[in-house]
Amino acid sequence: MELDFRKSEKTGEEMYSGTHSSGLKIYIVPKPEYSGSYAIFGTNYGSVESDFVVPGESEVTHVPDGIAHYLEHKMFDQPDGSNVFDKFAKYGGSANAFTSFNVTAYLFSATSNFEENLATLLDYVQSPYYTDETVQKEQGIIGQEIRMYDDNPGWQLFFNYIGCLYNSHPVKKEIAGTVESISHITPEYLYKCYTTFYNLSNMALVIVGNVDVDSAMKVIEEGIKKNEPFTEPIGRVHPDEAEHIAKQRSEKKMAVAAPMFMLGWKDNDVNKSGAELLKKNLEITILLKMLFGKGSKIYKKLYDAGLINNTFSTDYTMQPDYGFTSLDGESNDPEQVFEAILDAVDKVKEKGLSEDEFELAKKVAWGKYIRSHNDIENYAVTFLQLQFMGIDYFDYYDVYKTVAFEDVKRRFDEHFRRENAALSVIRPL
Amino acid sequence: MDIIKINDNISLRYIRMDKLKTTSIAVFIHRPLKKDEASYNALLPLVLKSGTELCPDRAAVARYLDNLYGATMGATTIKCGEDHVIYFDAETISDRYAPEGEPLTADLLKLLMSALFAPKTENGAFDEKTVELEKKNAIDKIAAFMNDKRQYAADRCRQETARGTDFAISRLGDADIIKNITSRSLYDYYRRIMTSSVIDIYICGDTDIKAAEAAVKEYTDGLSFTAADIPKTEIITRKYGELHEVTEEMDVAQGKLAIGFITNVKPTDADYPALIVMNSVFGAGAHSKLFNNVREKLSLAYYAGSQLERYKGMIIVNAGIEFKNFQKAYDETLVQLEEIKKGNISEHEFTSSIVAIVNNYRSFLDDQRALATTSLMNRVAGRDKTIDEMIESIEKVTPEDVTAVANKLQLDTSYFLTGKGAE
Repeated sequence: MELDFRKSEKTGEEMYSGTHSSGLKIYIVPKPEYSGSYAIFGTNYGSVESDFVVPGESEVTHVPDGIAHYLEHKMFDQPDGSNVFDKFAKYGGSANAFTSFNVTAYLFSATSNFEENLATLLDYVQSPYYTDETVQKEQGIIGQEIRMYDDNPGWQLFFNYIGCLYNSHPVKKEIAGTVESISHITPEYLYKCYTTFYNLSNMALVIVGNVDVDSAMKVIEEGIKKNEPFTEPIGRVHPDEAEHIAKQRSEKKMAVAAPMFMLGWKDNDVNKSGAELLKKNLEITILLKMLFGKGSKIYKKLYDAGLINNTFSTDYTMQPDYGFTSLDGESNDPEQVFEAILDAVDKVKEKGLSEDEFELAKKVAWGKYIRSHNDIENYAVTFLQLQFMGIDYFDYYDVYKTVAFEDVKRRFDEHFRRENAALSVIRPL
Repeated sequence: MDIIKINDNISLRYIRMDKLKTTSIAVFIHRPLKKDEASYNALLPLVLKSGTELCPDRAAVARYLDNLYGATMGATTIKCGEDHVIYFDAETISDRYAPEGEPLTADLLKLLMSALFAPKTENGAFDEKTVELEKKNAIDKIAAFMNDKRQYAADRCRQETARGTDFAISRLGDADIIKNITSRSLYDYYRRIMTSSVIDIYICGDTDIKAAEAAVKEYTDGLSFTAADIPKTEIITRKYGELHEVTEEMDVAQGKLAIGFITNVKPTDADYPALIVMNSVFGAGAHSKLFNNVREKLSLAYYAGSQLERYKGMIIVNAGIEFKNFQKAYDETLVQLEEIKKGNISEHEFTSSIVAIVNNYRSFLDDQRALATTSLMNRVAGRDKTIDEMIESIEKVTPEDVTAVANKLQLDTSYFLTGKGAE
């Protein structure tokens, strides 16, 4: 197959990309001066898909919560009884996998035998094998993974926070499901999910590092198994999400030292993808820096009053159909932090944003983009996740340069609305 | 690596690397890990990064860094055995990516030197308000140590295994001692240690090292220094005795088992590389005995692994399990170690371990922070090796070496974090 070649003047980066006849999208970033190489093979499928319509069918299929993550664990069992980790280990590859709300991905890093490792990756992810016995065996392991998260205050804080923001969107569900929900998972369900979401037209392969493009492509062409790409999209059935938040507060007690909080705003300007979504991301990221960064007035006020400490941080989570900002940290008085932040935002609404601060925050965003090319793993993961949102991370600059002060002002009015704000707190027992 | 001696204590170490888009600077100040000093060491970097002659407060520091396209400067302490290292870590995009041709690395180095050698002071003391705020941060950090149960359990087991030695002292300091530190006592401490400690400055990336040398000297030339050494750590040696058993209760859903072993191997010993491989076979990855037996075969845990504490000569096993499975997981861990001691190491377990370690070492070559900290840790261990030499020493290890070194291992401590009132 033919690949497109691009070179960025701003970053000096090069990329080869193309779509295989099977539907698989391929992206390769060669970095010959690196010691390591990294490949990630992922599907646009995560914990939010419990109800879906398979292309060509008319009925909605319903599956137990936590199944995408369960499937990820079970991908490592092979029809011939072999152990996937053994194969990677033989070639010096270090393999792993993860499941998020919207992505399941399989990956390896290596400093030798890249082609053999890549062949192993392609082979095992295209070789599902689920039996009653192997599915049963995983209940205990994933049960302990769920227990581990039960004791993780940061994780509980986060899910309680999303639970405040969302009324019915499945993003509020635990990624691994519950001990109860996973007890209903069967090989039949797993095969159904596999044949739907692991169709190669729903997947992408991203390779970054010390690789030879021609030999990598040879491995890919030989490694792709027969696949009929879907000609229509998979029906992803999510209930309609109302604009209002589900509730303003959540509180839970756990074995922690001091109260932890997460607060922020639900993003209702959704159903965007591609450049439009990336632009929104930039606007919100810039705003978070301007409003709540370490150099901001609000931060200084809260810090100097001892209301926040240096664990405070901000983030924006996005997908085409949902999004939210989050500010988290430790405080002896989370309520006061919440009120102070809402009041400070109101004050900015009266006085307006500063253009100088906008320029400074925009500079920081550029530095962050440049820096993101350093780590081949982080770059590949970011690229894959954004690709599934229709965003081309390689062309970041084209969107970056269009972000103007006026856009950010508009975004500020749109996003930071008092009625969309929620607060989640974990308190010591 | 180019090493430029600034004076008897301070050296500037330059690792040239232009394949990454950043340049990073690390400063390591070596102090002995002692009960009183540890609290001062924990607090000091927080204060130093909060105000300098160049940037008088935290907001000014933040804006200065933002102006360098979001450069970063962090400060904390790390524990290399009983060397309590005050660690400043700064990074910027390299000058060749500066859109307006700004001298980003030089400007970042200037801030860092200002934080270290020209902090904000008032009448012979640090700024009082800053010290009080950062005392709160340091104390909050000590308290928050319990939040991550997995790390907490492993760390508690490390402490218990190293009982009676300075290694058991927390790198975060002690809340009661920190409460009593004043802006003046901290400043006096600062003045004393800056001129009487080994200080390593690493620059990794792409910079004019002559200009960097001049920038460092500008801050250090007027000071007089007392020669110092890197604090050394002795490994634990203890007669075989009864198992040291510790159980703690907390309101948790999952139990955390940790087991402490004494290795009887120093990082400078000839069989130290074999110990690294042995730890990998035992519990460092998906190829290991603990992963494949405690997790995959018995489905007792999601994670079960082992970590080597090289300076003090310990291996700590930890796993997250149901409370009722404590004995099962404990017994299986010892069974797996026994297997290694008997020489029952499969070819797969052995080669996977070698390959995983080598792979990890090679990946440091793409990571500026890892290069600086690896060099530092080797220095502290008295084992000054390049990455290539480290790889070579691992590749020479044989399965027999692994078995031999495993037989030096001595079971010492069993630690269990269990639920309140759990059976």
